[in-house]
Amino acid sequence: MRQAGMYSGILNGGMSGRTGPHLLPLARIKKIMKRSGEDVKMISGEAPIIFSKACELFIEELTQRSWKVTLQGKRRTLHKEDVASAVIATDVFDFLVNVVSESGANSEDTPVVMER
Amino acid sequence: MVDEQDHLLPIANVGRIMKQILPPRAKISKEAKETMQECASEFISFVTGEASDKCQKENRKTVNGDDICWALSALGFDDYAEAILRYLHKYREFERERANQNKVGGSQDKDEASNCKCIQAGKQSVIPPPLECRVIEKGNSSLTRPS
Repeated sequence: MRQAGMYSGILNGGMSGRTGPHLLPLARIKKIMKRSGEDVKMISGEAPIIFSKACELFIEELTQRSWKVTLQGKRRTLHKEDVASAVIATDVFDFLVNVVSESGANSEDTPVVMER
Repeated sequence: MVDEQDHLLPIANVGRIMKQILPPRAKISKEAKETMQECASEFISFVTGEASDKCQKENRKTVNGDDICWALSALGFDDYAEAILRYLHKYREFERERANQNKVGGSQDKDEASNCKCIQAGKQSVIPPPLECRVIEKGNSSLTRPS
């Protein structure tokens, strides 16, 4: 019941009214969206909600790929270099190359080529 | 300091999402979480920029959920786009039902009426309405894995 799972995800993360709607704070997401460009003037109410889910998926995927690098290094602690390696090895994460470089991560390591 | 963090998602939230996808014995360095924070913000900006461009071209002022879905697809995140589209439809359905409930009359549920804040503003301070909701399960293992 994947759909049910997702739906209850809305409610569970969702309308408790106490801890905030979702895993990620909507107001903050909205702020980040607005910063992305001057052209971004109006954002519908559902957009940050959609993004909270999209970010979740994104973080999960990048984390999983990073963890593969960690395991290959026979380690149990995920380091930022592992994230950098995962970014470099994944085409769709090309837009992050500068972000992980700025973090001071070395790209000296041989990137593990992963298919997407 | 506050300004610095303003453009990032909270590290606790990010860390939680990372943790829930990893094996229980896995550890995450603080720097890895920080890097992930920055990556997530960049992701939001990247996708929003694309969605915003589309809106501009179509002479629309408001970036909506469909635009985000479209942008995800356009940028290569097809798997996310599919899952998000389902999520979006569920959300809209949920909102429609809520709106209908309010129209029909909130006498059955005074909590409902008093908590009917405007979702349009992206604020959600409502309690779950008495719909035939799915059981709220402990733990957010509710994510559709893109495969």
